[in-house]
Amino acid sequence: MADATGKSVNTEGIAIEKTGQTGAFGGELLTVNFGPHHPSTHGVLRLIVDLDGEQVRRVVPVIGYLHTGIEKQMEALRWQQGVVVTDRHDYLSPPINNLAYALAVEKLMGVEVPPRANALRVIMSELTRLSSHLVWMGTSGLELGAMSMLMYCFRERDTIMDLNEEISGFRMHTSYIRPGGVYADATPRFLELLDKFCREMPGHIDEYEALLTNNPIWRARTIGIGMLSAEDAKVLGASGPMLRGSGVAWDLRRAIPYSGYENYDFEVATSDMCDCYGRYLVRIKEMREAVKILRQALDKLPDGPINVDDRKMLPPPREELETSMEAVIHHFKLFTEGYSVPPGDVYVAVESGRGENGCYVVSDGTHKPRRVKFRAASFVNLQALERMALNQMLADMIAIIGTADTVMGDVDR
Amino acid sequence: MIAETLIVDRGVSAGDAWVTVEPDSIRDALSGLKDEGYRLLVFLSCVDHLADASREWPVRYEIVYQLRNMETKEQLRVRAFVDGDPPHIDSVHDLFPPANWDERETYDMFGIVFNDHPDLTRILMPDDWVGHPLRRDYPVGGEVVEFSEEHERWQTPPEKA
Repeated sequence: MADATGKSVNTEGIAIEKTGQTGAFGGELLTVNFGPHHPSTHGVLRLIVDLDGEQVRRVVPVIGYLHTGIEKQMEALRWQQGVVVTDRHDYLSPPINNLAYALAVEKLMGVEVPPRANALRVIMSELTRLSSHLVWMGTSGLELGAMSMLMYCFRERDTIMDLNEEISGFRMHTSYIRPGGVYADATPRFLELLDKFCREMPGHIDEYEALLTNNPIWRARTIGIGMLSAEDAKVLGASGPMLRGSGVAWDLRRAIPYSGYENYDFEVATSDMCDCYGRYLVRIKEMREAVKILRQALDKLPDGPINVDDRKMLPPPREELETSMEAVIHHFKLFTEGYSVPPGDVYVAVESGRGENGCYVVSDGTHKPRRVKFRAASFVNLQALERMALNQMLADMIAIIGTADTVMGDVDR
Repeated sequence: MIAETLIVDRGVSAGDAWVTVEPDSIRDALSGLKDEGYRLLVFLSCVDHLADASREWPVRYEIVYQLRNMETKEQLRVRAFVDGDPPHIDSVHDLFPPANWDERETYDMFGIVFNDHPDLTRILMPDDWVGHPLRRDYPVGGEVVEFSEEHERWQTPPEKA
């Protein structure tokens, strides 16, 4: 490994090491290993940090500890089986990853899903965004001294899990959004629970704000910490709350709409503070907007089918199997061979809780993908870490890693 | 658009515009496109076309650069085909900073060597890993699973088993 100046760095077995260089305070620069099992690194992020006293002079992230070969696995699975794997790279927002993959496959096949499927996809995406922000807020609060945040945030996250369970049967890795539509229709109980959730959630967000927004410790630990200017954020390719927290109003749901997001009335949350507090404000605003979108989607949920009417892509309904020979053949073909996708390649990007999560799919016309590349928001956002953490205190780096909201499963895939 | 002499081929795939350029002129093409407003490199990756009979491929590896103009919201995919052992192409990490880690990942997974990259080392796989896993001819399976029931069998060298 080499650092920005090209100097070679040994990353093996560093615990704490003297560099021999003199720091600004008369002491000696120390190289310190941070992670990969440090509880505040949100997974298994390892950082090699040069410290001058308590100030950070250099950060070298070492990643790959959670690499699971997801892109390789996709090549070995049939098109419809791949959905299950997409759930698992950014493990805090499975339906949004499903959506990116499903949209890419649908675009290659040239199919358009019915309006009810689109509305259900939007509902699941927004619920996921809420639950992802709740995990972020709970854990960040815990790290920065607001211990009770975790309890409050996980209380509402559990309600979202219940909703997931009601609609898909799974609490976390739902595999709900699939190429061609969604897994199942919303049950009356789901709509009832969602309605209750939409009514209660704004009050809960007020509770979080009461705990954090004017909390002197929270403000002291986040305001002016981890500055990232709008220009830097754009140059470094940051996306999501990292970019909007630096005052750039870029949201893929607005800029390049998908799944009918152009029909919903919502604001793109931004903050000009460019620091950790700005990113917090953006996420709070996004949670309020997500509830607004959920309410609109629920109020004008269209009737109709939830899947494309294509027997070559999706299995026939259960009752048809008993009467129609053709349905049995389709069913057999789909579950033994799968469907094939016309040759070509496509890139689809969706806005996840962390930023632009994209899916680049290449088909060679067979029943398995030739290549699936996930453009992970966390992977790109993590590269901005050094810019944000330079010359800050080591303790502030916890706040910076926290508000960058990287999911290591997404970084390493 | 960039100078026509740089473009070998162009087209639209499932609604996405793309151009193909010669691998030797990739830096000229990308810096030209950057000046035109394509300031964001969304991702950079590689596709291995080994034994793909669906279309005619000039050579085995295709490097893909997805660019975006954040003002006009236009997107453009730039392709360059490379071959060789190992394949070489110029690095663009100084034009687009996010390319730094993407190029390391592409090196790690496909063994593409990016000339003049400041730190072309493995990023996801361990430093002592042999092979490039996302190549199509990389063997799948046969990896030792530690602490599994087969672990003891795996530990025995094949000639003694």
